[in-house]
Amino acid sequence: MIAMDEQSHPVLARGVRLRNDPITGEPILLFPEGVLPLEATMHDIISRCSGESTVASIILALAGEYEMDQDTVRQDVCEYLAELRQRMLIAFSK
Amino acid sequence: MNYRPYLLLAELTYRCPLHCPYCSNPVAYPGGRELSTEEWRRVFGEAAQLGVLHVGFSGGEPLGRADLADLAAAARAAGLYTNLITSAVGLQRQRAAQLHQAGLDSIQISFQSDQESLADQIAGTKAHAVKLQAARMVRELGFPLTVNVVLHRGNIGRLEQIISLAEGLEAERLELANAQYYGWAFANRAALLPTRSQIAQAIEVVGAQKKRLLGRMEILFVTPDYYSERPKPCMNGWATRFLTVNPVGDVLPCPTASAIKGMSFENVRTRSLDWIWNRSESFNRFRGTAWMPVPCSECPMREIDFGGCRCQAALLTGDANLTDPACALSPYREKLTSFVESMQEDDTASLGRLSFRQNPK
Repeated sequence: MIAMDEQSHPVLARGVRLRNDPITGEPILLFPEGVLPLEATMHDIISRCSGESTVASIILALAGEYEMDQDTVRQDVCEYLAELRQRMLIAFSK
Repeated sequence: MNYRPYLLLAELTYRCPLHCPYCSNPVAYPGGRELSTEEWRRVFGEAAQLGVLHVGFSGGEPLGRADLADLAAAARAAGLYTNLITSAVGLQRQRAAQLHQAGLDSIQISFQSDQESLADQIAGTKAHAVKLQAARMVRELGFPLTVNVVLHRGNIGRLEQIISLAEGLEAERLELANAQYYGWAFANRAALLPTRSQIAQAIEVVGAQKKRLLGRMEILFVTPDYYSERPKPCMNGWATRFLTVNPVGDVLPCPTASAIKGMSFENVRTRSLDWIWNRSESFNRFRGTAWMPVPCSECPMREIDFGGCRCQAALLTGDANLTDPACALSPYREKLTSFVESMQEDDTASLGRLSFRQNPK
């Protein structure tokens, strides 16, 4: 898995668009030749990838929102962000 | 069952400055006028209504259309994600900036190899240096970049260097597309088909490089069906997720379907895309599993590979209704295998005699 710097700021990679599917109304990511439907948790994470929040602050916010312990949320968020990076759908700025 | 198209391949023109001997364009071009800007605008709107999310501008060389920026803007206005699939020949800075302004989302540039001499030999024209320049400029303008390289006997041995080229260009994605043997590529398949050892070597290189480039560049590679036991799930099933509109307005389930003898296809000038997608005979012909012959109809893989490719069945057996001969269960597989075996002796990795793609008259 890709190592995650929790102080970096995840942001949608260039050419990646977050929008609602006009047919189903569900959130999706659009990128070159691809579509990724977003489940609720995924959407919660992705919609915070604005380049403003650090990985750490996203974990903190979601742990609060879900009333879950941070370590569990950390693991999910880091795994998911690593997967998105592997597909070149997000970038990390310092 | 309801089918929804996600991707529209918009073949804007058959004209192209390149002459690649594996081009997916038909060997015999259909007659008729190219669709106008207004006609394409209507097609994009109708496609979006049907649920299409992506449009790929292709050809030929889509830059051959002077109205390309208008078409990109029209597709964006319809809500579509827009991707330009180009040789990059003719993509000067001013043109690219104009496309950026029009809202074009991403650009895919083809390369024929990493070496200029080999690349230009395959393209049948001097193009490699121009492509390099264009790719760098595309990055400067902020477009995401996909590099596409069609692989065959003549360049697959240079996979490592090809991957380095894409890495150096800072592409997000590299599509290593094994030549698909239809149309021009079928006419040239004895010269183009890699050997088994070349494929094995390629799989090894791709595996190692994927690992090395994890998180920096995505590499896409699929083992070619001539060397597989099972057919590819072509287009995810006939008329299931994709549609192609060719330069003269014919609507096809895939770019090569026009070569299937005995089939006729509808045209956007006489029918709506909705009617063609949902009601035309051509789009419904091989949908689902009801059309399938034995062994497909009894096969547990039938909803995974959909019986393979209809175009390949037509090309290799003369009958589009049969199992794709790439499948080990096809009675025609033996014939395909003996062709593949006959290609193993000559391991010189050099291209044989090629017939290069011609432009329409």
